[in-house]
Amino acid sequence: MNHGNSLRIKKSTLLWLLVPSIAIYTFVMIIPLILSFYYSLTDWTGGPTKAFIGFDNYRFLMKDSLFWESFHNNLIILLFTIVFQMSLAFILTSLFMSKAMRLKEFHRTVIFFPVVLSAVVVGFIWQMMYSQDYGIVNTVLKSVGLDSYIMPWLDDPKVVIYAVTLPLIWQFLGIPMIIFMSAVQGISKDIYETCELDGCTGIKKAIYITFPLIYDTIKVVIMLSISSNMLVFSHIYVLTGGGPGTSSMVLAQYAYKTSFTSMQLGYGSAVTIGMFILSFGLVLVFKWLAEVKK
Amino acid sequence: MPVRMFRRAGGFVFNTIMAVFSLSCIFPIVWIAYSSLKTKDDFMLNSISLPTHLQFNNYYKAFVEGEMYKYFISSTLNTLVTVVCVVFLSFCVAYVLSRFRFRGRNLIYTFFIAGMLIPVYGLIVPLFLQFKIFGLYDKFYTLILPYIAIRLSLPIFLLESFIKTVPVELDEAAYMDGASTSYTMTKIVLPICKPIISTVIILTFLDTWNEFPFSLVLVTKSFLKTLPVGLTNFYGQYTSDYTTLMAAMVLSILPVMLVYFIFNKNIIQGMTAGAVKG
Repeated sequence: MNHGNSLRIKKSTLLWLLVPSIAIYTFVMIIPLILSFYYSLTDWTGGPTKAFIGFDNYRFLMKDSLFWESFHNNLIILLFTIVFQMSLAFILTSLFMSKAMRLKEFHRTVIFFPVVLSAVVVGFIWQMMYSQDYGIVNTVLKSVGLDSYIMPWLDDPKVVIYAVTLPLIWQFLGIPMIIFMSAVQGISKDIYETCELDGCTGIKKAIYITFPLIYDTIKVVIMLSISSNMLVFSHIYVLTGGGPGTSSMVLAQYAYKTSFTSMQLGYGSAVTIGMFILSFGLVLVFKWLAEVKK
Repeated sequence: MPVRMFRRAGGFVFNTIMAVFSLSCIFPIVWIAYSSLKTKDDFMLNSISLPTHLQFNNYYKAFVEGEMYKYFISSTLNTLVTVVCVVFLSFCVAYVLSRFRFRGRNLIYTFFIAGMLIPVYGLIVPLFLQFKIFGLYDKFYTLILPYIAIRLSLPIFLLESFIKTVPVELDEAAYMDGASTSYTMTKIVLPICKPIISTVIILTFLDTWNEFPFSLVLVTKSFLKTLPVGLTNFYGQYTSDYTTLMAAMVLSILPVMLVYFIFNKNIIQGMTAGAVKG
């Protein structure tokens, strides 16, 4: 930072540069955040009147089985995403370090590509992948003789939650991968050279050197993953809308449904706040358990 | 000699597995792309085979008959305005924050950076109500305000840290020579910031082009809807017409794909910086 440089600026110029951004930002981000809490204390259903009912919405929320069911679904998505994404990303990162690997640029570009697609497109692509009659998933299963696994993936209440998790894992695999890779680049080459002299090979190198040295990065990435997966919305909205029934309902979808389908704006706000609290709480619990220093 | 051959064979197997993995990662997209060139009947007959002859009828159907062009225009306008405003606003804020010390400077910095932690989805309900109250709902400019606001944090962070690395002596020399603040900003610092500004432009473009929940909730007129919401409408109308749906999807991916394959280095670098900080 430039303490005590000789630059001077007029007060009015300073204000002109800052105020427009601060105004827009406050109007769109800060005020709604505060209002959302206020609405959650009312019984508003969109009409002209709303009564202040204190924490009644929250009391109801504690006993709302659908809310907790949605939270449970978020947890399933979270768990599978973290396990598969982190391990795949770590394996890929280790493989990318190998000298035998060709076309590194190509692989990285291709694996990262789904990240830049819109959630809606990804949702539709996978809806077609899962299509009972024309989808690739069932076609592939059929061609390798696993006919008994052919099923309507998005219509079976027992498997739907796993079926909606796969697109999330697929789309965002690139993010942990590139973060791990940039962390690996920060590791001194000498460490690897020394260990190669001691006869340390591929897998050992990954487990005993790369893993411990990027351990802190992995924890940070898991925290990112927790907060984004707790708020997942668009994919689910497009793929199933929370159905069949409520078997793939997640918190954000539930908040959307209570607010815009049944117009319970007060209660919907309470669901939203509840979602924030749970997601923030999970991040904090993880931070505490894993002793993240950042 | 055998050892070398063994190693070569191992490398070959390894690279083949890697290639299969990468290709299966983009296979869903490739499948959509080539299937969109098939006729509906061809697709129903065999959903995995390559098209026998190319025909672009599905694209015509999606773009013209299905009125995808409306959503295209709306998305393009929204994205263009948002990108311009975000670059302009974030550059102003970042310049001030990195060059001057004043009371509240740290507070303002934290205020903006905290935006990366605010879960935007949760703002939808209150924002919807707020826009209704202020009469901002369902207008041609409705989406621009939230789009700018939710994109400001990362560019400010990226630009602020970049400008800090630009020697302040440049600004000081200009100041001594009597240059105004706006002159120094636009004629001296801005040109140096070109690489990071291109990253900001690309990331803002991608985010805005792909944005879904705000567009879903804040506008209802069909010519105001953006592509992702348009796609969901379109899906409702053409549910059984897979090949047309696929053409519509390819159309909406195309701009993103182009930008990605030209600028993927900027994108990856910008996203890593943003993710690690957030």
